[in-house]
Amino acid sequence: MSTAFSADARNERVGSSHEPANSGPLERFSYDDAIVRKFLVAMLVWGIVGMLVGLIIALQLALPYLPEVKGAKPLSFLYETSWLNFGRLRPLHTNAVIFAFAGNAIFAGIYYSTQRLCKARMWSDKLSSLHFWGWQAIIVSAAITLPLGITQGKEYAELEWPIDLAIAVVWLGFFGTNFLMTLVKRRERHMYVALWFYIASLVTVTILHVFNNLSLPYALAQVLSGNTPTKEGFVKSWPVYAGVQDAFMQWWYGHNAVAFFLTTPFLGLMYYFLPKAAERPVYSYRLSIVHFWSLVFMYIWAGPHHLHYTSLPAWASTLGMLFSVMLWMPSWGGMINGLLTLRGAWQKVSQDPVLKFFVIAITFYGMATFEGPMLSIKSVNSLSHYTDWTIAHVHSGALGWNGFLAFGMMYWLLPRLFQTPLWSKKLMAAHFWIGTIGMVMYVIPMYAAGITQGLMWRAFDESGSLQYNDFVQTVNAIVPFYWLRALGGTLYLAGAVFGAVNMFMTWKARPAAYEVPVHSAPALTPFYSDPPRPASRLGEGNLAIGHDADVFVQGWWHRVWERKPIKFTLLTLLAVLLASLFEMIPTFLIKSNVPTIASVKPYTPLELHGRDVYIAEGCYNCHSQMIRPIWAETKRYGEYSKGGESVYDHPFQWGSRRIGPDLAREGGIKSHDWHVRHFENPRQLIAQSIMPSYKHLLESKIDFKDTETRVRAMAMLGVPYGEMVKEGVASAYAQAQAEQIAADLVQQGGYEDMQDKKVIALTAYIQRLGIDISKPDDWDPYEKFRDRATKILAARNGEADKVASSTTKVNSGGAK
Amino acid sequence: MSTNSHTPQRSPHADNADWQSAKDPVTNADLLDHEYDGIREYDNPTPGWWHAIFLASVMFAILYFAFFHLSPVSWSIQDRWQAQKVAETKKIFGKIGDLAADEPTIIKMSNDAPMMEVAKGMFVGNCASCHANDGGGINGVNLTDDHYKNVKKLIDVYTVITDGANNGAMPPWNARLSQNERVLLAAYVMNLRGTKPAAPRAPEGEVLPPFGPQVSKK
Repeated sequence: MSTAFSADARNERVGSSHEPANSGPLERFSYDDAIVRKFLVAMLVWGIVGMLVGLIIALQLALPYLPEVKGAKPLSFLYETSWLNFGRLRPLHTNAVIFAFAGNAIFAGIYYSTQRLCKARMWSDKLSSLHFWGWQAIIVSAAITLPLGITQGKEYAELEWPIDLAIAVVWLGFFGTNFLMTLVKRRERHMYVALWFYIASLVTVTILHVFNNLSLPYALAQVLSGNTPTKEGFVKSWPVYAGVQDAFMQWWYGHNAVAFFLTTPFLGLMYYFLPKAAERPVYSYRLSIVHFWSLVFMYIWAGPHHLHYTSLPAWASTLGMLFSVMLWMPSWGGMINGLLTLRGAWQKVSQDPVLKFFVIAITFYGMATFEGPMLSIKSVNSLSHYTDWTIAHVHSGALGWNGFLAFGMMYWLLPRLFQTPLWSKKLMAAHFWIGTIGMVMYVIPMYAAGITQGLMWRAFDESGSLQYNDFVQTVNAIVPFYWLRALGGTLYLAGAVFGAVNMFMTWKARPAAYEVPVHSAPALTPFYSDPPRPASRLGEGNLAIGHDADVFVQGWWHRVWERKPIKFTLLTLLAVLLASLFEMIPTFLIKSNVPTIASVKPYTPLELHGRDVYIAEGCYNCHSQMIRPIWAETKRYGEYSKGGESVYDHPFQWGSRRIGPDLAREGGIKSHDWHVRHFENPRQLIAQSIMPSYKHLLESKIDFKDTETRVRAMAMLGVPYGEMVKEGVASAYAQAQAEQIAADLVQQGGYEDMQDKKVIALTAYIQRLGIDISKPDDWDPYEKFRDRATKILAARNGEADKVASSTTKVNSGGAK
Repeated sequence: MSTNSHTPQRSPHADNADWQSAKDPVTNADLLDHEYDGIREYDNPTPGWWHAIFLASVMFAILYFAFFHLSPVSWSIQDRWQAQKVAETKKIFGKIGDLAADEPTIIKMSNDAPMMEVAKGMFVGNCASCHANDGGGINGVNLTDDHYKNVKKLIDVYTVITDGANNGAMPPWNARLSQNERVLLAAYVMNLRGTKPAAPRAPEGEVLPPFGPQVSKK
């Protein structure tokens, strides 16, 4: 470490020792470290922001009734401001830590290592810069839109369509092009394993992002129905998939975002920064090959394990489980290669916090990738799903693996990038310890919370009744764990702040001008002959096929692939696509996978509007809408959910967590009055509720004209709305239903003049949830307010006629 | 381990002993002739236990899939749920059979202590969000006092639970709860009368005379 910042100068002596004599002319080049510095700073800044948001929402859960506590009134804004609600901030937290913290960490590491592994500067400084600023602009737009309730309502894919387009351009157009062209223009004949992992990440994230986000933008729906797009048109869209298929796509994406955004790129970083920091050769090249390809091929199948016991077809769920189980060893290949690389360097680990960060990171990676397959086993999942166990699992991955690998990398890079020794080794060590303690204090209470809640949900008493019928009991039991979690998170965040201080002070001590070492290496020429094919190691008397197999397992062919970046990229693409299509084609094409139910009808226009409110408020972050065929569950919530019930749900809203109870059958079991009161302040009805208050929904208004385009958009996506798409019809029906509910509300308890408030639309939607299957096949969702709607339509037409005729009169009068 | 016993063969790192180990210090595997920015790789084989577990997981996957999706003897999650539903329903209602929806049955059930325990669970799960766990009422009426809004006689309690009342203020439960469950709940609600809730809601409706003979027993 002592002479670390002059490492580049040392590396200059490293010639390519195996380039044949006919290599190209010697070329001189330097690396672009300015871009690495930028990404590294962005990583830490956004990391702190993302963790701070996480801490705020953790406290909201731990301290739900703060506003009602005496003397805490000034803090009530934290609970009652629409854009600070848990449902809106939770996506901000996840997006910030995944795409901003981990994303910028990946880019910093990739930009640093790729240039050195390729002996080439990034292909285009302009693209590097566009990539950096483009990515930061995306993050800023996410930080603005998510709290405003602008969301697609799909976890980790919340960002709306214009931002999605920007992501595609920045990721593939700027970063992808720049990275792949650097590979093409490299001066190192073969690609090191880190680069394989970067390639896999680049290719797969592109596919995942594009296919999961295929949606109908509101603006396009407006244009297609003959209107000019409004402001609203650019902040709203609906996925082309619905129900089971949308769920399948979402978790194919969601799971593989973990795989190809949080696992493969970080494995690549580990393969570069760990041997560099430990100054040890990598344990096994063969293991790299085997675990890379098995990981890339198998990971992509595992998504459906997020949908066990749901109405996803059983075969898909089984595939998700089995591929997850088979993924255990491919994942552990990376851990073995990481930890065994440190063999013979453990004395360094005890002295160097950078290596300590790496060791903890790899250990957490190993634990999380053992736990993942375990949680994917259906029976284990039946306990863990919807509980905080999942939260514990993802945080052991995110804080341990991603966070600590990023921090270790950061501390290794700081002296090299700022060309001055790290400001304080002690502070770095303090960061390591406080972070480790914080992490443990975070995950252990969350495991306890998850298992506690899972067991309470399924506990029966002797009579065969649920032991904890009152859902809020199961919430209150885990609130103490929420406190410990918030404390653990605070410590982890404090560690990151230590890191920021260290970074800032190191930066302050930087030289007046950075030294930019000039390197030289021969250009690659097309004339290269691979080493001869190895001979079979088997003795005589074996069959030819045996000899061929032995030659094959020696892996010489892979060495050939390693010098062909385009072929390598295409092969990775093939592995990922094959696996995806194998699961997707049957899910989309075989009708029997989603049996339709005749009595399930599309939402009414007002309910549809309410559904968009539900999505905008992020209700799916705490409430599932998917009752599993598990006795304790149907006992608590009613008949288990069927695939045919969500065929009109663009997007599906099955959820993944039950901080609050499941809502799949919430319709019709409480009065409108109850719901409105509950939205105004849940603690008026359930003293111990931890749900935020949604006062603003009792004030903000429904735009009924807007409702019309929403219905048309759904019709364009194939929802059978029939007559409802005609001019003026949907808005009349929406208005009629709102008036009907408002009238009922007055009779039930007293809220007056609510007929144009958003809370009415949301209540209409909630009251519709899960009721269709108990209705006759020919039931009419509009029955209660059809007459009222007809009158509204007639009145409007009458007025229109009057206006039309009076205009005619005036005109004819004028002509006289 | 950083001794100079291994003579550096190909390593360019003359200034760092660790990088020189041409052989893995434990397995004695060779150092490959790969080198990327100073990073070298050993030619270690993939560990045997890694292969063994990987193969075992693949075998498990094949057998699991064959059993659950290709064989006729397996069962589905829905089958298991159905079987449990039958067993659990029998466990709870086996002794009482199908209950008639009439006053004598309601009165009889109101005196059946074990069944009233069951009904209490159902009340907390389905009714308490509006009527409170102790029946004192929240935005639903107080069920413990002598005042009744939509009930004239005992059987009306069952009818209100079944069909709802007051324009949806009390929702209908006929689609959600079985007849047995609704009869038991009616009996439970009948028993709530005269109990002392923690925070009673103000009385609403008319005062009714006591329901049947069991009230005096309290």
